[in-house]
Amino acid sequence: MAIKYLDKYPKNLAKSLWVMKPFVVVGKLFWKNIFHRPVTVLYPYEKEWIPDNYRGRPGLRFDKCVGCGMCVRMCPTACIKLIEVADDEGKPVMRPQVNLGRCAMCGYCAEYCPLDAMTVTPEYELAEYTRYDLLYGPRRLHYEGTTEEMEVKLEVTLPSDIENGNPERRVSLFDIDRPELIDNKCIGCKKCAKVCPVDAIEMVEKGVNDKGKPILRPVIDNSKCICCSNCVLDCPKDALQIKEVL
Amino acid sequence: MMSDSIVPVKEIEERMETDKMWLTMGPQHPFSHGLWTLRVQVDGEIVTDAEPIVGYLHRGWEKETENRTYPKIIPMADRLCYAASMTYTHLYCMTVEKALGIDIPEKAKWIRIVADEVCRIQSHLMWLAAVGTDLGSYTVFLWSMREREFFLDLNVKLCGARMTTNYPRIGGVRNDTTELFDRDILRTVERFEKALWDIVALVDDSSIFVSRMKGISYLTREQVANMGLTGPAMRGCGVDFDIRRDDPYDNYDLVDFEVPVLKEGDSYARYMIRIEEMFQSCEIIKQAVKKVQALGKNAPYRVKTPSRVPAGTTFARLEDPRGESLMYLVSDGTDKPYRLKVRSPIFVNVSGAKAMSVGTRVADVPAVLAQIDMCLGETDR
Repeated sequence: MAIKYLDKYPKNLAKSLWVMKPFVVVGKLFWKNIFHRPVTVLYPYEKEWIPDNYRGRPGLRFDKCVGCGMCVRMCPTACIKLIEVADDEGKPVMRPQVNLGRCAMCGYCAEYCPLDAMTVTPEYELAEYTRYDLLYGPRRLHYEGTTEEMEVKLEVTLPSDIENGNPERRVSLFDIDRPELIDNKCIGCKKCAKVCPVDAIEMVEKGVNDKGKPILRPVIDNSKCICCSNCVLDCPKDALQIKEVL
Repeated sequence: MMSDSIVPVKEIEERMETDKMWLTMGPQHPFSHGLWTLRVQVDGEIVTDAEPIVGYLHRGWEKETENRTYPKIIPMADRLCYAASMTYTHLYCMTVEKALGIDIPEKAKWIRIVADEVCRIQSHLMWLAAVGTDLGSYTVFLWSMREREFFLDLNVKLCGARMTTNYPRIGGVRNDTTELFDRDILRTVERFEKALWDIVALVDDSSIFVSRMKGISYLTREQVANMGLTGPAMRGCGVDFDIRRDDPYDNYDLVDFEVPVLKEGDSYARYMIRIEEMFQSCEIIKQAVKKVQALGKNAPYRVKTPSRVPAGTTFARLEDPRGESLMYLVSDGTDKPYRLKVRSPIFVNVSGAKAMSVGTRVADVPAVLAQIDMCLGETDR
C-alpha cells in the first residue's frame, strides 16, 4: 500500500509560496459550479430525499399493540409511558405515550417491540410551540403511510447455530426466550397471570397443601407468550426467570 | 523556558519588572471549539504559560451508565462525541463482547471497519473545516463541510441517522448493509479522493496557511511520551504506533494499509498526518467493502448475547480519529455495569496545550490548538 499524500507534498516549500495557486483552484471550482445545478433545496417547499430506513419519530399501530411495556423498559431516555386509553370498542387499555421532547430517535422501541407495533417513521418536522404539544398520545403516534420497511426487525443468529454449522438468521430476538418457573419459590399469588398482556399464563391447581388449601402454579402457554418479561418483573418472590436460548 | 532570542532584553530592561498577564480564552471566546477554556499567560505578545480548563460540559456520563442495562448504553455512547459516534459505540460493544467472551460474525467485523473508517474521514473533515476557520479561510471550511455531507449521507443510508448513529450492537451490528450501499460508498470514496486534492491544494499552496503551521509548536518524542498524547499528535513526532496495526481488533490485521509517521513534530506535521490518514481510510474502505460483498447477502451479522455479563473486569481499546480511546468495564454479574470508565484521547491530549502553545504568539494560539481537534463531549463526559 502506497503513501499517497506525504510522498507528494511536503517536499517543495517553494511551490507553496506561490500565491496564485489557490486562486487557480478556486477559479476551477467557480467555473464548474456555474454550469452545475444548485446543490441546495428550497427547504419548506422542496425536501431532501430520505432513505427508507430513516429514523424519525416513533410511530404506533394501535391495533397491533398489546401494551406489554417493552418499549417503556428499553427506552434509554425514559420518554415512553403507558397510559390508559379507550380502544375501538371503548374498553380501557394501556398504550404507550411518547414525550418527543426527550426522544433521542434511537429506534429502540421499534427494535425491541415483540409484535412490531412500534415503528420508526420518516417524520422529522416536530417543532411545537409548547411542551405539552410534544406529548404524542397513542392515537397521535399513528403514522399514515406506515409500510413494512418501517418495522425494525432484529435479525439475530444463535451462537449454538453457528457452532452446529447452520448460521441461520432468525427474525426476532425474543421468539425463543421463555419465562421459567422455580417451583419452590412460588407462592401462587396469581400476579403473573394478571399482568400478562396476552393472557398466556393460566393458574393451575397442583394438589393441596398441609392446611388443605389448593396449591396454584402458573402454566405458561408458549405459543401465546411474547416474552415481554412482565411476569418476571412483577413476581414478588422472584420465582420466574427468563430462560435465554443461546 | 523563554529564550532570549524571542524577546530582546537589554540590561536596563532586565531590572524593570514587566507584568505578565493572564488571558482567558473561552468558553465563550470565538476561538474555542465547544466549551473549553484556555488560560494563557502572555508577556506582551508571546505566550509564556497556558492552562487548559475543562469540565463545563460534564454530564456525569460514567455515573449514568451505572443505572442502565447494557443495550441502553449504546445510544449514550453515541453522544460522547458527535464526530466519532461510530467509534465510541464500537468500542463500547467491543468491551462488552470481550467481557462476555463471544466472537462476532465475520460480516459484522467488516461492516464495523467500513463504518469506523467513514467515521474517521468525516471526523477529520470536521477538523479540517475547523482549521480552515481558525486560520482564516472560509473556503476551506465550506469545501470540507461539503465533502463531509457525502459521508453523513452514507451514515443515513447505512443506519438511518446522520450523526448519532446507534449502529453497532453487542454481538454484531444493528442491520445488514442496505441495498446499493456498496455501490454508493465506492462512488463516494472515489469522488472524495479527487476532491480532497482540491482542498489540500488550497491549504498547502497558500503561504498564509503554511507559514502559520510550519515550524511552530514543536513537540518532542519525550514530551509526547510523558504527557501520554496519542493519535496524530503522537505520530507527527515520529512515534510509529497505531492500534489498528499494532494491536489489531476486529479484522484490521487482514487489511493492507500504511500508518503515516513524520519526524518533524510541528503543527504542520500533525496536519499532514491527518490528511494522509484520510487517504488511507479510503483504501481501507475499498478493501473492506469488497470483503462484505464477498460474504454474500445471507451471512449472519449479529449473534444473540446473554443479557447478564459475568462478574469481572475488562478493557478494550481502539484507534479513535483523535487517538487511543479505551473503556474499562467492571461488571458484577447483573445486567447493569458496576463501573464503566472511559479514557478519552482528547482529555489527555489537551494537557499538551501548554507545551504546544508556549513560545508562540497570541494570534497563533487558535491555529496551534486547532491541531488538538477538540471535542468537549468526550473530554468532560
